[in-house]
Amino acid sequence: MVSIDAMRENPASPPAVETSLVYAHGLAAIVTLLISVAFGVLASIELLVPDLVGNSPWLTWGRLRYDHTQGIMLGWLGNAFFAFLYHGVPVLTGRRVTSVKLGQWIFGLWNFAVVVPGWILVLAGFSQPLEWAEFPLVIDAFVVLALLLALLQFLPPFFSRGLEDLYVSSWYIIGGLVFTLLAYPMGNFVPELVPGARGAAFSGLWIHDAIGLFVTPLALAVIYFVIPAATRRPIFSHFLSMLGFWLLFFLYPLNGTHHYVFSVIPMSAQIGAIAASTLLGVDVILVVANLLLSLRGAGWFPRDPALRFVGTGTVFYLIVSIQGSVQAQMAVNQSVHFSDWVVGHSHLAMLGFATFAAAGGLIHAWQRIPWARYNAVLLDWAYWLLVAGVVVMVSDLTIAGLVEAGFWQSTAPWMDSVRAVRPYWLVRTLTAVPIAAGFITLLLGLVTGNRGDGLRAVQQEVGLEPVEAIAPRLAPEVA
Amino acid sequence: MKRVLRMSYLVAGLGGVGFFVMSILLLGVWPGQALEEQIRQTKPDRPLALTASEKRGRVIYAREGCAYCHTQQIRYLSKDVARFGAATLAWETIFDYPHLWGTRRIGPDLSREATVRSSDWQLSHLYAPRALVVDSVMPAFPWLFDGAPDRPKQEARDLLDYLETLGRNRALAGTEGEAHARNACNCSQDEKQFAFGSPVLNASPSLPRRKGDFPKLARSSDLSRGQQAYARYCATCHGNRGEGDGPGAAGLHPRPVNLSEQEYSADRLGFSLWNGVAGTAMPAWRELTPADLSALEEIVRGFHVAQSDPAIPPAVLALGARVYAARCAQCHGENGAGDGSAAGQFAIAPTNFRTQRPNLAASLRALRDGIEGTPMAPWTNELSEAELSAVAYFVRTLYIGDSNP
Repeated sequence: MVSIDAMRENPASPPAVETSLVYAHGLAAIVTLLISVAFGVLASIELLVPDLVGNSPWLTWGRLRYDHTQGIMLGWLGNAFFAFLYHGVPVLTGRRVTSVKLGQWIFGLWNFAVVVPGWILVLAGFSQPLEWAEFPLVIDAFVVLALLLALLQFLPPFFSRGLEDLYVSSWYIIGGLVFTLLAYPMGNFVPELVPGARGAAFSGLWIHDAIGLFVTPLALAVIYFVIPAATRRPIFSHFLSMLGFWLLFFLYPLNGTHHYVFSVIPMSAQIGAIAASTLLGVDVILVVANLLLSLRGAGWFPRDPALRFVGTGTVFYLIVSIQGSVQAQMAVNQSVHFSDWVVGHSHLAMLGFATFAAAGGLIHAWQRIPWARYNAVLLDWAYWLLVAGVVVMVSDLTIAGLVEAGFWQSTAPWMDSVRAVRPYWLVRTLTAVPIAAGFITLLLGLVTGNRGDGLRAVQQEVGLEPVEAIAPRLAPEVA
Repeated sequence: MKRVLRMSYLVAGLGGVGFFVMSILLLGVWPGQALEEQIRQTKPDRPLALTASEKRGRVIYAREGCAYCHTQQIRYLSKDVARFGAATLAWETIFDYPHLWGTRRIGPDLSREATVRSSDWQLSHLYAPRALVVDSVMPAFPWLFDGAPDRPKQEARDLLDYLETLGRNRALAGTEGEAHARNACNCSQDEKQFAFGSPVLNASPSLPRRKGDFPKLARSSDLSRGQQAYARYCATCHGNRGEGDGPGAAGLHPRPVNLSEQEYSADRLGFSLWNGVAGTAMPAWRELTPADLSALEEIVRGFHVAQSDPAIPPAVLALGARVYAARCAQCHGENGAGDGSAAGQFAIAPTNFRTQRPNLAASLRALRDGIEGTPMAPWTNELSEAELSAVAYFVRTLYIGDSNP
């Protein structure tokens, strides 16, 4: 066993983890998260008090709505995934990422050429009205550039190691980075060039690829990594992991058209997408079963906050995916589509599944920065506040969606449906209290407390082990 | 063994890329080709492209996130078609760079918005939505205006221009265009049913009609129902006491009617509630139930302050009749039924004095000042004071109310 002091002296005991980049992306992740939440909360308050910001074009609902989702996807999840990758890739491959300098460029580009200017441009009125693609085209160019650089940064360690030894997290990382780079231009550029219904077909693909090829693979990379690393047990079945991985990459892209069911887009494409959506739910059951089986022995609420976040994220993943399969079915889709049900669904995906996974990955990497502060009590609070917030918010929006659907199926005046859901919108806004408090607590949990407390907690919990000891467990042969 | 493994990963990797490419081909490129083919089959010869102003308006619509609350896509579903009109066809979207279909409806779908609302209503609504629609949650866009709803900046005009293109090409194609598309479309019977089977292209219950049936409304004694409906749907323009001074009235031309000054027949009220007043901001209220409409009728009647006319000397009435025949009948009709020979020229129908009786003050004011926003001009240059009051008295005698002619 390596003592903390030894780790401190040689914190980057091979494989070298660039802790400064983990730290920088981690902080940027939570800061952009808090700003994105502020956009969302303000937008939700404006639905209750529409004249709140009066004569200010900068804070009008539409622009806040654009910045909310782009900030969550690129600012929070993007940075959190990068933070995890700077820890995970060296551990998985036993090799350094390509270059610290390159890392600084990626950090600068991602935050100061994409997220911050993207937000400002949207607020100033420069944007595109495409879901998960609201930042203007000039920003998209920088996203693509940053994604290219990220490939250069993170992929060479995998290829120099050889593919046959890759653990499933590595596959998800490679898949996520490569396919995001392929899909991003399709969603952001094609609808500007191909009009109307034809462009919408591509838009639909991207709406699902954003979650399916960027968010989900990287979130799963985190989950598959943290569970064996923190439980000290290999994953239940490497075979199931790989089966899940390939099915996911086969099926996810084929889902897109389910956002436009009953549209003029050819019915055979819609039906194909619905079939793929159904199969995807089956695949997720397989993935989640494997993950939960791997969690055996850790209990429902493990003491390690990283593991607890990741485990709960896994459960949210199961629920949101089955919900997705259900709502893609025509009989359900025809009434809940366009309603708050879908808003609840996307929050369960992004705030439940992805955010819990990303937070778990971030905490896990953070614990292993020897000089980072760490406050376990606050992280506990963050977990419970967030669980409470997500559960209440998603239930509330789901019911609101059913209420709206009921009105829309009747002949009642449109405004009746708006009046009827306002109490639910109030509850949704109130859930911002535990959620925002949870995120602030998460931030405080990572910047208060003593330096090195993270490592000490790990040592107390499961006994400290050098990263070399983790690596073999993250290899297929062990499983 | 390693070699075999490497091969298997290579195969799987290629498979992954293959499925991604397949997704683009199967769900992007191929539907695009099918849509292109359908567009070719069903498109009218020369659909109107957007003008420069309409294009600028579209950019504003896009940047303000309008599409995130208002879809522009009526689905192939009976509930969608019943609420909004014929389902959206592919060719209707050929000028949409990028599409604005939307995936959330907080407000109603706007695919067929073009002719539903008057432009003064649209501008007032953009300026201050809650001044017109109680409980609306739409953001206000006052920065597109110079401090008042009837003083739009260029941006508000552009946005209005764009709104008036929504569904325009489909409406312009007309019944011939529909028949052509229905015959040419190589689509299933189901699709045809939803795309072309709608009895009306635009099903908006707010769409005003100049002519049309209306339900015969029974008298209602449900005061509270009437008050609630009036407060929700009418008071924003007509004011709490019916005096035409609601918060939304300021930007409307013509101004909302002061209901305390007008006496209406039951049929006239029924018609206007059901069909709106074409050419004005008064929408139709076909989305309300008969019970609501009956109750509303009672509320409107209740606003009228009856006036007992002084006995008018026959000579004055005779003068009024002569002036009316010479000056007014051309539009308002010989018998005052609003059906004069020139009536058809106007976007707003001339008042039918047989079913609507203005109070003397309102009548005189209209003659002296005209009615802003309508073809009714001031008559003070043409008529003497005696003639003005004579004709003001006279038009009140034309009213037959609910009695049969």
